[in-house]
Amino acid sequence: MRDLKHLYYFENLLQITNNDLISQAKSEGKKCVAYLCENTPEPLLNLAGCFGVRLFAPQTGSMDIATYYMTSLLCETCRALLERSIEGGFNFADCLIAPDGCTMINRCAENIELLRAMGKDNDHFFYEHMEVPLKADDNGVELLVLQCKNHILNPLHENYGIDVSEAAIREAVTLHNKVCRLIREIGDFRKEANPRITGYEFAILTLATYVCPKYLLIDKLTETLEELKTREPDENKYRARLLVVGSEMDDPGFIKLIEETGAYVCADRYCFGSLPGRDEIKLSDDEDALTSVCRHYVYECQCPRQMNMDKVYSRKQYINDLAREYGADGILYNQIKFCDPWAYEKALGSAILREKYDYPVLAVDRPYNINSSAGQMRTRVQAFIESIEIKNIQGRGKHGCD
Amino acid sequence: MDVIKNPNKIAGEQSIAALYNDGKVRKRREWRGLKDTMYDFGRWLHIWGILVNVSMGRGFIKGLFRYRWMANYLAVPHMVDKFTVGQRDETLKITHTAIDYVVYEVATIVKGCLRGDRFAGNDKKLSDRTVAVDENAMTAYMMGFPTLFAAQREVPTLFSANLINQYSAVHYIDVAQAFGIPGDVCPMPETEAGVSIEDDLCVIGKCAVQVNTTCDGSMMGNGIMARRLEEDYGIPTFQLAAPIRFKSEDVQKYAAEDIKKAIAFIEDQTGAKWDWKHYFECAKRVNNTTRNRLEWLDINSTPYPQFVGAVFCLYNDTNYMGNCGRNPEFPSIDEKIMKLVQKGYQNKQMMAPEYRHRCVVWGVEPHFVFDMLYWMMLCWGVVPLTDMLSMVIKDQIADEDTPENREQAYYDMAYLVENMIMRNHTHGGYEALLDELWECCDKMNADMVMLWEHIGCKALTGMHGMFEEQARERGIHLVWVSHDLCDPRIYTRQAIRDQFNQYMRTVMREEPLDPSIEVLPDSYAW
Repeated sequence: MRDLKHLYYFENLLQITNNDLISQAKSEGKKCVAYLCENTPEPLLNLAGCFGVRLFAPQTGSMDIATYYMTSLLCETCRALLERSIEGGFNFADCLIAPDGCTMINRCAENIELLRAMGKDNDHFFYEHMEVPLKADDNGVELLVLQCKNHILNPLHENYGIDVSEAAIREAVTLHNKVCRLIREIGDFRKEANPRITGYEFAILTLATYVCPKYLLIDKLTETLEELKTREPDENKYRARLLVVGSEMDDPGFIKLIEETGAYVCADRYCFGSLPGRDEIKLSDDEDALTSVCRHYVYECQCPRQMNMDKVYSRKQYINDLAREYGADGILYNQIKFCDPWAYEKALGSAILREKYDYPVLAVDRPYNINSSAGQMRTRVQAFIESIEIKNIQGRGKHGCD
Repeated sequence: MDVIKNPNKIAGEQSIAALYNDGKVRKRREWRGLKDTMYDFGRWLHIWGILVNVSMGRGFIKGLFRYRWMANYLAVPHMVDKFTVGQRDETLKITHTAIDYVVYEVATIVKGCLRGDRFAGNDKKLSDRTVAVDENAMTAYMMGFPTLFAAQREVPTLFSANLINQYSAVHYIDVAQAFGIPGDVCPMPETEAGVSIEDDLCVIGKCAVQVNTTCDGSMMGNGIMARRLEEDYGIPTFQLAAPIRFKSEDVQKYAAEDIKKAIAFIEDQTGAKWDWKHYFECAKRVNNTTRNRLEWLDINSTPYPQFVGAVFCLYNDTNYMGNCGRNPEFPSIDEKIMKLVQKGYQNKQMMAPEYRHRCVVWGVEPHFVFDMLYWMMLCWGVVPLTDMLSMVIKDQIADEDTPENREQAYYDMAYLVENMIMRNHTHGGYEALLDELWECCDKMNADMVMLWEHIGCKALTGMHGMFEEQARERGIHLVWVSHDLCDPRIYTRQAIRDQFNQYMRTVMREEPLDPSIEVLPDSYAW
């Protein structure tokens, strides 16, 4: 296939945290709301006058200082973020919103706060830690509404004069939905038998929507969508279609590595992925926008921290539904090394998807930067693909899939 | 701190080194002088009496053959010996009064679980009025159900089994890892998950209530166990959500509402009705427990601490978590302990020949599984004044039955659940883990902190650097002692002691009070 016109541009944006679009938005006088964890309601960070950026740490190498603070047994994402903040890599941000999504991300944010590793020379800089519900129910919606008021909206208004009115939230949701629509339309091409976009390309586009000001991406995303409509795909060269599921993953290199082995990543159900992260938020006239946003985040959440059994079962059903919709031959569960929630979710999910839904499943843990153990991972993925191919030869392929 | 020397010679043998060999059972009983040896022997017989009583219960024989963990209970008397090592006079009596009652409580749980277990006693009537609850949870939501049995199924399989036999969890850890759970998670919920995967938990209860207790691992392990209960045995489960940032005012309503839902769930499933009169009786006992514990801590903050060590921690754990005011016998045990503590304090009773350092024990603790805290006193003269798990409930809850208090009660139950032992420091932000340690050091007049660094505990290790920096700023000696909780293959008992020995020799430049016990051949000892 011909290269996408803007792929290089998007790839470059992801080389550093403080990318050109952040600088541009800051130069326009907007405040940068840095946040951690997918459980943060994104539209509330993209109100007029501010923009949300989910923190990540591309090109991470040494994490020695963070390892001193958090030991070598903590999730590498958290250590990479702490290391980057100590290096001063997040000083463009005007505040940090940290939901208590998991113990380690919480400790990461607390270390950043105790070390005053962000917000240098900014008297208005604030750190906010917020509770996010542990179950999908209306009690949880009520909690999240209160938490968003106390830990996002009020501080933004008080420190930076951001308009947090109903109209402002509705406008932010409209922007959010626009980006979601673009990403999902682009992502739908992955359902094709002979897809016109690679999993890697899609991962680049999706990641950009988390770590760049959204309003500055719309033009190029729209152009990319138009380009894809007429893009000629290569002859089908993929050995197997994989659905990648799992924990925090902001390294498109991981998707690239999988596809280099001959697989096609047809769907992305991980933190920083588009499913369900880029589902549109439905607003209604019967309910205020803040409650609707929170309702969306509570009920659509696929994070393993939601512990009610309905959710535990429905997360696996959701994977099954995606696998069918996107025509996956197998499922790859990935977990960032030392992540407790996904350690258990990966084990239970793999068992259920194998036993109940009859999919081939590969469960792996991986480092933050895949380049630090690319060889091992490549071998495992290759072996998995071969096992799927053997099953196909034996007529036992397409488990559970039409 | 100034060294305090014990003016009294310790009765009986002067060193415990002679008791240990490489086996599971010690070479012989400790000679504590005639009076204390006879007292100790009498209590040893009492423990056997409790065990015989359990063995007469319905379902015991079937349970013995079905469950791998049952065999551990033959070693209960050895566990008690482990906690009384080197003790004399009031100290010995305090420990026995407390731990013997803990043994009785656990025996009651084991007996009940086996009686109602579908594969052992199969007492359906009992099972139908049973709610299976988390072992590591504050059972506050059961305080208004006097007719129901709260079965802490994991207590006999993991927690108490591991106190008796340090290797009891190893098989189940392997089972969990074979299932796909990595080896880097906390082995405690991993063991629980392993027991469930192997279907080795008693199957009892009309329903079950799970709580997100101390950590992400514990919360996630619940899913594996609930699946077994619901899909294989048709026992519905309720997941009670306790907020993580529980110190914030803006999460309390959420927590209280979920308590209401849990109670409604239990009522629906069992047909039992919430009894406010009984609830407030239990609340009075919880308050009594808190008052007593705070008074013991006050005495421990003086130069002559009395009720310390693993048993102080275990007694608090049993009294608050499994009991939570529901057992009317605890206040009389508290009273007995209080009399002994006051007597010991008046007599300036000491537990070692010399007190050199006053130490707060912090972090996620494995000291239940061996005699580390008593050893620290005997070997190095370091007194463990209190520990993180014993720094639990501080506030009184509403205990008069009024219309306002009935609404307040949901918030009080939420407060108890949120502040359950260990969770009240591993969650709640760094303030609960870091700041409260330094407050505790000030209150207890401590000059040293022994920090149990559980390598699988992310909440704790995530603050490693901050502990070091802040201890340095405050001039407090911080001894890191790493371990992997109930997996002794990672850190053996001696590997744990060696970390303490090295700090005392190289950093403190001290010599032990009793060099003969720096190294003990007790890796396999019960």
